[in-house]
Amino acid sequence: MSRAGRYALGALGLALAILALSSAGSAASAGQEAKKAAWDGNRTTPAHLIPLRDENDEPIIPTETDPLPYSARFTCGPCHDYKTIQGGWHFGAMTAAKSGRPGEPWIQLDPKTGTVLPISYRKWPGTFEPAALGLTAWDFTALFGRHLPGGGPAEPSDEEVLAHPEARWNVSGKAEVNCLACHNRSGRQDPSEWAKQVLRENLRWAATAAGGVGEVGGMASRLKETWDVYDGPNLDDHEWAVVPSVKYRTSDFDSKQRYFFDLNYQPSDDRCLACHSVSPAGEAQWSAEADVHSTAGLKCADCHRNDLGHGIVRGYAGEAAETGNRTAGSFTCRGCHLGENEAGEKSVVPGRLGAPYPKHTGLPLVHFKRLSCTVCHSGPKPKEGFTRVRTSRANRLGIYGVATWATDLPAVIEPVYAKDAGQKISPHRLVWPAFWAKVDGKNVTPLKPAVVEAAAGDILKPEARIAQTLVALSQVMAEGEVPVLIADKLVFVPNVDGGIYASERPGAKAGTPDFWGIRKGEDVLPLVPEFDPAAADKDPAVETRFMEFLQALGTVAGAPGRPVIVVKTTLYRLVDGSLDMSEAPAELAEASGPGWLAEGKFLPLASDFDLRTVTAKAGTEQTLTEEQVALVLTALAGSNERSDFVYISGGRMFRVGRDGKLAAKSDAAAEPVTWPMAHNVRPAQQSLGWNGCTDCHSGGSDFFFTKLRGTGPLLTANVEKRSAASFMGLGGLFQRFFGLSFITRPLFKVFLAVCAFVIGALVFVAGLLLLGRLAGFLEKRSEP
Amino acid sequence: MMFTIIVFLSVIGGVAGLTFHRFWTTREEARATILYSELFKKYAAWLALGTIRSARKASPKAWWEYNKALPLWRLPVLEKCLYIGFYGSFAYLAASGFFFAIFVPRGLYGFPLVGHVMAGGLFAACLAVIVIFKGRNFISVPKPVNLSLALLDPRKMGITAARVKLAAFWLFALTGFLLALTALLPMMPLLRTSGQKFMFEFHRYSALASLLAAMVFAGLEVFESGRSR
Repeated sequence: MSRAGRYALGALGLALAILALSSAGSAASAGQEAKKAAWDGNRTTPAHLIPLRDENDEPIIPTETDPLPYSARFTCGPCHDYKTIQGGWHFGAMTAAKSGRPGEPWIQLDPKTGTVLPISYRKWPGTFEPAALGLTAWDFTALFGRHLPGGGPAEPSDEEVLAHPEARWNVSGKAEVNCLACHNRSGRQDPSEWAKQVLRENLRWAATAAGGVGEVGGMASRLKETWDVYDGPNLDDHEWAVVPSVKYRTSDFDSKQRYFFDLNYQPSDDRCLACHSVSPAGEAQWSAEADVHSTAGLKCADCHRNDLGHGIVRGYAGEAAETGNRTAGSFTCRGCHLGENEAGEKSVVPGRLGAPYPKHTGLPLVHFKRLSCTVCHSGPKPKEGFTRVRTSRANRLGIYGVATWATDLPAVIEPVYAKDAGQKISPHRLVWPAFWAKVDGKNVTPLKPAVVEAAAGDILKPEARIAQTLVALSQVMAEGEVPVLIADKLVFVPNVDGGIYASERPGAKAGTPDFWGIRKGEDVLPLVPEFDPAAADKDPAVETRFMEFLQALGTVAGAPGRPVIVVKTTLYRLVDGSLDMSEAPAELAEASGPGWLAEGKFLPLASDFDLRTVTAKAGTEQTLTEEQVALVLTALAGSNERSDFVYISGGRMFRVGRDGKLAAKSDAAAEPVTWPMAHNVRPAQQSLGWNGCTDCHSGGSDFFFTKLRGTGPLLTANVEKRSAASFMGLGGLFQRFFGLSFITRPLFKVFLAVCAFVIGALVFVAGLLLLGRLAGFLEKRSEP
Repeated sequence: MMFTIIVFLSVIGGVAGLTFHRFWTTREEARATILYSELFKKYAAWLALGTIRSARKASPKAWWEYNKALPLWRLPVLEKCLYIGFYGSFAYLAASGFFFAIFVPRGLYGFPLVGHVMAGGLFAACLAVIVIFKGRNFISVPKPVNLSLALLDPRKMGITAARVKLAAFWLFALTGFLLALTALLPMMPLLRTSGQKFMFEFHRYSALASLLAAMVFAGLEVFESGRSR
């Protein structure tokens, strides 16, 4: 054999040996994987003292300079298959084959443009698919990452990252599935910190910071888009564009650099409620009720279980058939309490978790056929006008800090009883969508708020303009003085967020002229007092203040002209930094007070449009007036004459007619979005029907006849109005008639009982006679 | 589904029994053979012919004349009202109950259900009055019986049309009582879900028994009155 041949043979032998070893290794590894997946039967949660690994699968030494944040993929992944978990309910919305029963959509809220847009990656009725709105995974994460548990859109595929180079994934990193968000038992787990880190675009650092594993500083959002995590700290800037960094809590590491995670196998309720809280708006915390299951000692995860795939049992009828997870059938209301599947067959394990068997004494069967259990047992009781609630994800609850995160909008309403996919009436939560849209035939495509804002220009900024003026004047106020705008009966004052608060002015009379003033204690003095500039004994301090006011007003960005003050026929203005006092030109004869001088014309500090708009909206939660909507629609039409633009709010579609007036009509696109709700479950004594049939069946019961008015950001009386019965698909007339019949029902029962008794007694007597004669105890009737 | 099948079979059986009784008692050819197949052929031919004849005769005018000739209209006013209420409520109860039970998957609902409940009250009241005032007319006077195997022989039981009619009346009264009871009890806070289910089924089958009893009674009554004329 030649030398080359021997070399080739040797190489082949070596390759075969490596192959054999590797295949043996992979077989052993597969065996280990299978072993890992199987539970050994021990019911305790093992201590998680484990080495942290970063996103490059490198071990983390906490004392090293600039360590990277820990990566769940490589820290938790070796024991809990990360890819399997990624497909779970909380992370797999983008890729899930089935959407499941509709749940709460993500709601994009933009008060300025009056946008309340339900969004979901799942194909739920009434929701918009993010891609259809032009939202990338980056946009979605920026909007809703505050309440995302990582993974899903916050951890996009490489294809998605490459397809959207304008996104800043390279700087922020991806927010991997955050195991700690649910499984951390430590009180250090901080959802507010997560939201803060997401807002700062510190996505790869967010889990480390929120889990209390380390302290994270810096803001990726302030870094250039070319920055890379391997670039390290920004040596030129220690104050503004500070690179995110981690300072690990070294006391939780042992000498082998292993970190102690205090974990729960089953997440505690606090972890679930961080994103799934729902509370009546305006209710005090101490008076809020918990779910009856919680008060009985159950945890959320007792029913909402999952395996490693994290396909959480949601607990609705039909879930078992839909997901193929037969266990899910045991965790519906009927499953646990009756041992029945949705078809009423006794085919599932009953009495799980000690669920009591309900008596339902006297409840007619039709209720079980037509209603889901939650109608009588869940949510707040029906009341006049429904109950407005706030939910964690819609209203940004549970995020605490200097800024106020929680919002009153969107208005989420419950319990709206409507038919679900199984044609059973179930309680739902409801949101009226509101958005600007382009209409093309039957297609209604929502516009991004940024597009609307760009087209609207100044139309949407009256509050901002007034706030800017007040904030500017604040700079020259003495201690205890607050600049205010008095309009009609209202007082507008600047707030810390750079906006304005409106309150009613005590004792103010209607028709009071608008003026800018200074509030000092209880008194409001005009910014420009009554005085005669030509008088010899005028107070020189007044003109000194005029100069300060004019200097302050000069800082207002985007002002329509130069600030001036007109008193009688005197014009005050700044010329070369000094106060100039001159005779007002004839064109300003009508002018008075502070204002702007633009092209020789005097403009008041706040235009009539601004005043009209802010006074109309004061004290309401609406953010748009009909006038604004008409103007914006006209502006949108001007930007694209070929398209038809509309605004949707309160269940109506608004459009500017040919006469230039705003007209409204009903439209499918304006229909409310609903999703079934299950919690909070009330105790049996608080269930509907506990007090009798008239809980629902009466001539004016809230269950059937309470009215729902469409709500939205538009201040208008033109909203959709519906009765509760209409959502159920039931005739209101019949329900009213049927309800009234319950007035006479007790009498009817007595009447029927008497009739039954009489008939029964005579039949009994006749039977006795027959029996007696058959037996010969009674003689045959004698013939006459 | 099971209820629907049972209803159809029972009604067909009831109609077949009544028509066969008429065939057996009025047609000479019925006794001309002892072969069941022959008997069945003759009965089928008679039934088909009779059906065709009746169909030819049937017209709104004929129905109107038939109704006008009913002895009901010649009764005293109070009794007339009683029977109109009784027949009318029973007709509505049977029609609405069986129609919805058989043809409407949702079952009885809406205004027809309210009408059913109201008609039920009227029916119970009328039936109670009829049983009080007319029940004595339907008390049979059988001889005392002796315990023997002869009791099991239908030919020696003394089953006559008159006795079947009496039995049908009392069966109707009994089922009326059961119908009232099974309507009343589910409205009381007494029964749990399984009890409610039982009462619902019991109400339906009582209604079926009531309908059959009414059919038999009415069939024999009409047959007898026809013969007497």
